[in-house]
Amino acid sequence: MKRVACAAAVLLLSLPQVLYSQTRPRRDGYVSREEYLRLQEELESLKAQMRQMQRVLTPAVFEGSDPKEADEKGEEEKLQQDLDAVKSELKDLQTTRESYQAEVDETIEELEKELRAARDQAQAASPGSTRFLITGYGFAGIEDRDGENSSFNAGFNPIFLWKLSDRIFFEGELEVELEHDEAEFDLEYAHLTYLLNDCITVGVGKFLTPFGIFPERLHPAWINKLPDFPLAFGHDGLVPFTSLGVQLRGGVPFWCSKLNYAFYFSNGPELNIEVPNEAGNLHFENFEDINNNKAFGGRIGLLLTPELEVGHSFQVARVGPSGTPFSEVDAVLVGLDATYVQDIDWLKGRVDVRHEWIWSDVDDATFDPDGSLGFGPVSFDNRRNGGYVQVAYRPSKVEHHIIKNLEPVVRYDMLHRPAGAPEEFDEQRVTIGLNYWLGPSMVFKVAYQFDDKDSGEEDQDALLFQAALGF
Amino acid sequence: MRRDTGWQLAGMASSLILVAAAGLTLIGCRTTACHSPQKNPRACRFLCPEDKFAASSGGAQLWAENCARCHNDRPATSYSDAEWDVAMHHMRVRANLTGEEHRKIVEFLKAAN
Repeated sequence: MKRVACAAAVLLLSLPQVLYSQTRPRRDGYVSREEYLRLQEELESLKAQMRQMQRVLTPAVFEGSDPKEADEKGEEEKLQQDLDAVKSELKDLQTTRESYQAEVDETIEELEKELRAARDQAQAASPGSTRFLITGYGFAGIEDRDGENSSFNAGFNPIFLWKLSDRIFFEGELEVELEHDEAEFDLEYAHLTYLLNDCITVGVGKFLTPFGIFPERLHPAWINKLPDFPLAFGHDGLVPFTSLGVQLRGGVPFWCSKLNYAFYFSNGPELNIEVPNEAGNLHFENFEDINNNKAFGGRIGLLLTPELEVGHSFQVARVGPSGTPFSEVDAVLVGLDATYVQDIDWLKGRVDVRHEWIWSDVDDATFDPDGSLGFGPVSFDNRRNGGYVQVAYRPSKVEHHIIKNLEPVVRYDMLHRPAGAPEEFDEQRVTIGLNYWLGPSMVFKVAYQFDDKDSGEEDQDALLFQAALGF
Repeated sequence: MRRDTGWQLAGMASSLILVAAAGLTLIGCRTTACHSPQKNPRACRFLCPEDKFAASSGGAQLWAENCARCHNDRPATSYSDAEWDVAMHHMRVRANLTGEEHRKIVEFLKAAN
């Protein structure tokens, strides 16, 4: 390339002389001014071309590459630089992430250590492998009954539950109530049970009598939908609320549903033979057996559907004290119960319907035969019966935050006493109540009770308030 | 002492129901598996025809059905897992739940706790 360039340069430089010698006629060594200017112009033009050729040829001579390739190479270098920068940033990010991860792992490990320590502390505080729980309920209220002074009342019933193993369980309830001017303590129940298998449980002690459903399931103040008990289950009622003895109970799949049962032997009730206005009544609080003869009773319930249960209860017992003219007096109790609880969409709430009825038949006897007690001789057909029907409705699916917690309740209850008995009047009541549920186990109740006694006894309507809490 | 014939009959009927219940208790315990949809032993068929087997209810359904029979449903968060162990044992005895019902309800309450 150099040789070519040099040759081209020599050629171009000699060109003017060649042109001059071939085109200019020879004279005596002199040229005209016009010829001189023309030659000068040509020379300048040649010089310019020469410079141009020099500019073009010089990079190619010394460098030997195409300018377009040079541009692409520059871009490639730039991209490479950008890529290197990105790689460097990525590496920095990775390093930062690794250091953060290490910090997070360290923090998690510390938290796990603290959690283990806290768990160990909690377990250390628990009483061994057995489990213990205190539950129960409390209530307070006021009763304003015709013919009596209105009075506040209150009660506290702690329930102690102790699970000694998967099969052995103890439950006990105390009842603390205010009566007159002192607090009355009572042992509601103290009951030890053993799970024989999936269907059979054996129990011994003082227990809520499985006669009907009210004593066992419905009497706690936060479950009972009215402030008081139905007549048949109250004081001087027809049903043994608690029994001291032994029982066998459980639930069994039956047909396409389920059957539940409970049978018991207990000390049995005692026939009242001395108190004038209670002669012929049965006293069920029996810590001692009065006649070496145990009561036998039980209940069988059948779930016709998950919402509907029907039950039959019975108890047979000798109730007269030994060594008295009443030592062979027997009593038979029979009860029927039905429960229907259902959430109904079109009613936007839950309907709760319950019914129990009890019949009591005590063998005939003559009370105070010689009149020495001041009220006899008295003899009568000692049959009684009584029970209740209760309907409650709670609009739990209504969107209003107050209405959904309201629950109207209506109960009819009745107690029939035998003609000729010291207290021979029948009594029936209609109680209308409205509950407000502050929580699943906290309720405020207000009710008005219409009372009707026959045989000339004074009716005692009542206004009742109660607040109850289950915990 | 006079005993009315009607009451004698009531007592006899109760006794018969008692004997029948005792028998069914023994049968029922042996046929707890009858209510599992996966099993259908021949002995169960006379108690519950195959097409009427109750579907095996889950813990949530059993909780809703059995608790509501007496009181408002207490939410699962009312108690800790250990407390539910104790409370549900108490309820199993009180409500005469079967062992299977008890286990399913406890499992549901602990899972929902």
